[in-house]
Amino acid sequence: MSGVLLWAWALTLPGLVLTGLGVGRRPGSASLAGPGVLLVVAVTWLLGSRTAAELRQVDWLPFLPDGAFHLRGDALAAVMLAVLGFVSLCVYVYSLAYMADEPPAGQRRFFMYLDFFVASMAILVLAGNLAVLLIGWAGVGLASFLLISFWLDRPGTLGAGLQALAANAVGDAALLVAIVLVPAGCGDLLTLQTPACLAVPGGARLTASLLLVAAAAKSAQGPLYFWLPSAMAGPTPISALIHAATMVAAGVYLLVRTNALLAAAPPVAVATAALGVATALGGGLASLQQANFKRGLAYSTVSQLGYMFAGVGFGAPFAAIFHLVTHASFKALLFLSAGVVIHARDGEEELAALGGLRRALPGAYAAFLVGSLALVGLPGLSGALSKDAILDAGEQANLLLAVCLFGGTFLTGLYIGRLFFGVFHGPRPDEQPIHHPSPLLLWPLVPLAVGAVVAGYLEWPAGLLSSALGETAGHAEPVRFASPFGFFAGLLGVFGFALSGWRGREQAAEPVRVGTDAGWVGAVARRGYGLADRLAAIHSGRLGRYALASVFGIAIILLIGLRA
Amino acid sequence: MLVLGTSAALLALGSGGVLLRRNPVAMLMSVELMLNAGNLLFVLAARVRGVVDGQAAALIVLVVAAAEAVVGLGLALALFRDRSRVDVDDPAEVRG
Repeated sequence: MSGVLLWAWALTLPGLVLTGLGVGRRPGSASLAGPGVLLVVAVTWLLGSRTAAELRQVDWLPFLPDGAFHLRGDALAAVMLAVLGFVSLCVYVYSLAYMADEPPAGQRRFFMYLDFFVASMAILVLAGNLAVLLIGWAGVGLASFLLISFWLDRPGTLGAGLQALAANAVGDAALLVAIVLVPAGCGDLLTLQTPACLAVPGGARLTASLLLVAAAAKSAQGPLYFWLPSAMAGPTPISALIHAATMVAAGVYLLVRTNALLAAAPPVAVATAALGVATALGGGLASLQQANFKRGLAYSTVSQLGYMFAGVGFGAPFAAIFHLVTHASFKALLFLSAGVVIHARDGEEELAALGGLRRALPGAYAAFLVGSLALVGLPGLSGALSKDAILDAGEQANLLLAVCLFGGTFLTGLYIGRLFFGVFHGPRPDEQPIHHPSPLLLWPLVPLAVGAVVAGYLEWPAGLLSSALGETAGHAEPVRFASPFGFFAGLLGVFGFALSGWRGREQAAEPVRVGTDAGWVGAVARRGYGLADRLAAIHSGRLGRYALASVFGIAIILLIGLRA
Repeated sequence: MLVLGTSAALLALGSGGVLLRRNPVAMLMSVELMLNAGNLLFVLAARVRGVVDGQAAALIVLVVAAAEAVVGLGLALALFRDRSRVDVDDPAEVRG
C-alpha cells in the first residue's frame, strides 16, 4: 500500500487524458474516479500499517546541490492527500452541476485543469526534497492562474490571474534561491536543520526566512495577501477547492514539514507568529468592509490561514495541521453553499443585491449556518477544537500574540455573521427569480457539513490524528475539549455572530465598498491593490521586453560565473 | 582567434536582431544566427581537441533549430492569417 501512496500524484492523470479526448456522456464524468481513488488510497494507508515509503532517483538534476527525484510517502503526506481527495471529490461532483451551463469544450477544459491541479498538489505534498517540491509548487500556481482566468470573456479575470502569478513568482523565487543556496547534499525537507546543512552565510535564519517568504506568498499572508481576494474572479468551486481548502494551505504545509528548521531559528518563528496574528486580524477587519459575498469569504480564508501560521510560529505545528484539516472542511462548505446562492441568482455576488434567501434556498441556508458556526468556534464543532489548540499553544509561547488572536475570534463572529444574516435573513432587495438548485449541487454539501461538525473529533478525545501523524508534525500536545481560554474565545465568536445578526435587523445591511471608503482599512487595501497591479504589469505581453530581460539575466549570470 | 571573433560577432548580430526587430520572420533568422554562432564554437573546439563530440553537438543543434523554425514560422503564419500584418507585439492586446 505504501508504494501506491507514492504514485498517488498520477491518479488523476488518466482522467485528464480521457476528459481531454472527450470520453464520457457528460463532460468531466471521466475525471470523477481520480479524486475518489486518491481518497481511498490515502485513507487505506492511514488505516493500515502506515509504513513510510521513499523513492529516490539520484542525479536527476545534477546541477543542483540536491537534485534527486525524491518522493516521500509518510503520515503527513497521507493526511494532506486525504484532505485533498475528500474536498476535491465533493468539488468535482458539485462542478458537474455548477459548470453545466458552459459549452462542452469549456467544461472539458475546466475538468482538465482540475485534474492537473490535483496531480500537482499531490506532488507538492509527496515531495521529499526542495527540488521536487518546487515542481508541485509551480504546478499548483499555474493551475490556480488558469482557473482564476477561466472565464476569459469576463472583465478582470485575466488581471486577477496575473496578480496571482505575480505573487506566486515572489514565492517561487524565494524557494528557488533556497534550493540553490543549501550546501551540497542538502535539500531533504526533513534534514534542513542539521549542522552540515546550515553551513551557509546566514545559516538557519536565512533558509528559514526564504521558506517563510515562499509560504507567505502561497498562503496570502502579510503584504502578499492581495492576490487571494482577486482570485475570487474564478468559478466558485475553484474558490472552494484551490483558494480555500487545499492550495492556499500549501504554505502552512511547507512550514509544518520543515518545523525542525523553524525551531532552529527562533527569531523567524516569532516573525511567523507575528505575521500570522497580524494577518488574522487584518483579514477579519478587511472582510467587514467587503461589498462582495465571495470576497468577504476570501478575507476570512486569509484570516484563518493567519491562525495556522500563528500556530506554526508558536511551535505547535500539529495545531496548525489540525486547523488546516478542519478549516478545509468548513471553508469548502461555506464556499460551496455560497456557490449555490450565486448559481441560483445567475451569478449575482454583490451583497446589496442578496438577502432574505432563507426560505428559497433552505439547503444552502442550513449548510452555510453549519459552516459559519464551525468557523466561529461554537464549542463542540470542529473549528472550536482546532482553534483552541492554537490558542493553547500561544498561551504558552507568547501571551501577547495569543491575546491578540483571542480578540480576533470576535472579528470572526462579526464578519461571518454579517455575511450570513445579510444574505439569508432580512428582506429580499428585489423579486428576481430564483433557480432551484439541482440535487447535484446540494449533495456534495452533506459530507462537507458532516466533516465541519465532526472533524474535530478526529483528535479529541482519542488523539487519532496526532497518533497517525506521529513525529511528522512535531510533538503534539493533547487537545482539550475546551480550555478556559479557548472556551471564551468560542463564546466571544458566537457573541460577535449574534451581534451582527442583531445589527442586521436594526439597520439594513449597508456594505462599505473598498475604494470609496475613506477609512484606514480601505486605504491599506487600495495600497495593496495598487501594488498588485504594478506587479501584474510585469507581464506586458511584449516579446521584445521579455527578450531584453532574458539577455540581461544571462549577462548577469555570465558575469557572476566568470568572477567565481 | 579569427573564428572566435566571427562567432562573437554573429552572436551580437543575432541578439541585436532579436531585440530590435519586431517582424517574427526576421527574429527567427536572428535566432538562427545566434545558434550558428554556438555551432561554430562547437566545431572549433572539436577541431582543437581532436574529438568529434563537438561536431555531434552541432548536428543536434541543427536539428533542434529546424524544429524551432517550424514552430516559429507556423506561429508567424497564424498571426499573418489573423490580421494580415505581422508584428510580434500585436498579440499583447489579448491580455486583460
